[in-house]
Amino acid sequence: MLQGAPLPERIIELLPFGSGPLGTAIAAILGAALVGTLMMSMTAVAGPWAKRKVTAAFTDRYAVNRLGPFGLFIIIADAVRLLSKELIVPEGVDRPAWDLAPVVLASSALLGFAVIPMGSGIHLADPEVGLVYVFAIASIASLGLVMAGYASNNKFSMLGGLRAVAQNLAYEIPLVLIAASVVLFSGSLQMSEIVARQAEPLLSLGPVTIPTWYAFVNPFAFVLFVIANLMEVGRNPFDIPEAPTEIVAGYQTEYSSVYFVLIYLGEFLHIFLGGAIIATLFLGGPAGPGPESIGLVWFIVKIWAVYLFTQWARSALPRLRIDQLIEVGWKGMLVLSLANLVMTAVIVGVIA
Amino acid sequence: MSLHEPETPDVGETADGTVDYDELAALLGETAIDREEHINAPAFVVRPDEVQEALSVLHEEAGFDYLSNVTAQQYADRYESIYHLKKYDDPTQEVGVVVPVPTDEPVSQSAEAVYRTADWHEREAYDLVGIEYDDHPDLRRILLPETWQGHPLGRDYNPEKPQVVPFRKHENPLQPDTRGEGADADTMFINIGPHHPATHGVLHIKTVLDGEQVADVEPDIGYLHRCEEQMCQQSTYRHQIMPYPDRWDYVSAGILNEWAYARAAEDMADIDVPEYAQVIRTMSAELCRIASHMLALGTFALDVFGDFTAVFQYAFRDREVVQNILEELTGQRLMFNYLRLGGVAWDVPEPREEFFEMIRDFLDGLPEKTKEYHNLITSNEIFQVRCVDTGELPPEVAKQYGATGPVARGSGIDFDLRRDDPYGYYEELDWDVITEEGCDNYSRVLVRLREVEESAKIIEQCVDLLEDWPEEDREIQSNVPRTLKPDADAEVYRGVEAAKGELGIYMRSDGTDKPARFKIRSPCFCNLHTLREMTEGEYIPDLIASLGSLDIVLGEVDR
Repeated sequence: MLQGAPLPERIIELLPFGSGPLGTAIAAILGAALVGTLMMSMTAVAGPWAKRKVTAAFTDRYAVNRLGPFGLFIIIADAVRLLSKELIVPEGVDRPAWDLAPVVLASSALLGFAVIPMGSGIHLADPEVGLVYVFAIASIASLGLVMAGYASNNKFSMLGGLRAVAQNLAYEIPLVLIAASVVLFSGSLQMSEIVARQAEPLLSLGPVTIPTWYAFVNPFAFVLFVIANLMEVGRNPFDIPEAPTEIVAGYQTEYSSVYFVLIYLGEFLHIFLGGAIIATLFLGGPAGPGPESIGLVWFIVKIWAVYLFTQWARSALPRLRIDQLIEVGWKGMLVLSLANLVMTAVIVGVIA
Repeated sequence: MSLHEPETPDVGETADGTVDYDELAALLGETAIDREEHINAPAFVVRPDEVQEALSVLHEEAGFDYLSNVTAQQYADRYESIYHLKKYDDPTQEVGVVVPVPTDEPVSQSAEAVYRTADWHEREAYDLVGIEYDDHPDLRRILLPETWQGHPLGRDYNPEKPQVVPFRKHENPLQPDTRGEGADADTMFINIGPHHPATHGVLHIKTVLDGEQVADVEPDIGYLHRCEEQMCQQSTYRHQIMPYPDRWDYVSAGILNEWAYARAAEDMADIDVPEYAQVIRTMSAELCRIASHMLALGTFALDVFGDFTAVFQYAFRDREVVQNILEELTGQRLMFNYLRLGGVAWDVPEPREEFFEMIRDFLDGLPEKTKEYHNLITSNEIFQVRCVDTGELPPEVAKQYGATGPVARGSGIDFDLRRDDPYGYYEELDWDVITEEGCDNYSRVLVRLREVEESAKIIEQCVDLLEDWPEEDREIQSNVPRTLKPDADAEVYRGVEAAKGELGIYMRSDGTDKPARFKIRSPCFCNLHTLREMTEGEYIPDLIASLGSLDIVLGEVDR
């Protein structure tokens, strides 16, 4: 199933529209809707509920517990609350850039999931340049941040937007360089190929077989990537573009109601996309014990593990200053990721 | 003007470390035209055009390097500014400088050139009382709006008169806001506050940014001005004033504030406090200090960590325990109103063993919690990167601005009124004054964290004492007349070490049961004044961190 045809092609077979342009389009939309809904519902759980619960657990509190089991229905209550709020459009905002920014933010993250193999046969598309595509699409978010910051006609937003650009510049490059070291191992940019390569056994300890997940093969790259990813998605200690205590809410200061929901959604989708990339590149994608058909479960578990890590960092670490972050990025991460790339190249070249 | 302290023993100091006022008078020569006796220390009367001369002699030659407070008031025939001078080395050495000016031309020379802290004090005097200061760099209103008419603490002020101000006279908040000309024109002006997540109340910081760096800051205070001084002037000494101090520094430092008033009033009316009550006072005040420092720690972590994270909640969790103890003792969680002139309101709650057990439980758990804070905060490398060497306040500058409390001690100034100007039961107890030499945000946080441990030591000793106190000897209040009328024209200025620094009260009696002038020397007010020195050229996050490390409470800044 893992190496099966992409999801839309199998939907075509189930539908009576044939494999013409119409059938392909309908199948693609249905497949995308399935993946999109899955990710959005995870975000819905993560945003209004899990984030509160996790933070509460870290800080000795209870958090939401009044509506439904474990307070889960707060998701519905919050959705209604947020959507029914007045959308305030400040004077002097630069429309339509101001209106587009939240859409760009949310959709760029969502589009990235198109090439992620999620197991259980859920894999929308598998282009040969899948890895490049996912990084390219994820960094469109930076554009959204600049749009939001620049168009809001607010100095705090402006500062937030500028910080976002500086930060993303400093972290895109190490991120891609570390990913390139994985490509050296796998020899392919295709996501399904990267996952397939990690299924090979690394070593056997009696009944337990440790697969060649790249997190085990190259833990150094894994740690670097997790850090760089934290910076990419802008969570503590790197939530500098938002920095609530310094610049109010950064680029999202002027957004309310639905636009705020979209930005919030975009942020969480980005965390999950980051988790998906980490899972695919380093943790064997949907691989895990049990039959292959439950691959999706393992995949979601891995994404949530990354999500929990971001929440842990949020609760425990102070925020860096923007100049310190740039310094860490250009002087630390870039050098380390280059070293990692060269080392990997040498190892791969000598062994292979 | 030299910022260095004179190295030779100060002129006007006797061998046993007290002030020789005759020698000071000789030093001042003809500048001093008269001498007044205040209860705390004698004061010299100086002509309004010789203020700077007199003060710089006292500062340079006699070593009075600490301008604690400036009080302004209006008499029937004159205005008067009183400069309360002390020494950082020994705050029991005090002297006052009284500057009378005529009612029809209330102009006095500014002391700003000698003590920078006089800047804000004199602005306040101008704002509330109406004395104008010559040579003052920036004589504007500080607490009241720019458009306010009249000076509310002046004698001819009519509070009934409506403040009619046309809208056009108000500053337009949307006016063009790029400041500077030519090469400086690319700076950006930004209002941090009055509604901002990190201003700890309604503080407005007018900030000029050069990119991410701070080019200039100007705190704009007064949003929380509640006429506390005037309310105290309209209340009787015996009972009515005591509830007000709780409301100055309202975040759990109530008893420390009450003590400031109690100390001043007791000195003024010559009231003794039974030893047993002093022990209870000391214990409850230190509990307040712990609660206050916990809050300071939590909110500082909030500023640096960036969210309501674990540290904030842990600090509040521990503060909660202290609040519960204080609630048991006083019946209140914030506005304690527990101290009385001549003692405290009531004895510790029965059963005493349970109450002491409660305190001991807290004290026993504290070392582990402190360790946790050190693990989570002070030894965190990111925290150190953020806080070490940012918001620097050299000791000379701190002294110029009259900084006290953890802010001064974080700059290596060994100054604590509990030890240097003893009151209560502190002298009998074994504890240390904490100083840190770093002069930065980190030092200030570390000082607070370590002071919590010292406070715990004090509380423990107090509990030991209270437990063994013979039952027949538990006198909680001395005999105080029902109506307190101190002698007419008695003047007193007394400070205590509140959570934020020296909280001083100046009172003048006119022979009635209410003070004729009641002036509060707020430590937060003076500490906040140092913000500009700390943050110039720093980044915005450091500005926020420095503000957090000052630990101001706007209720006390604005009074």
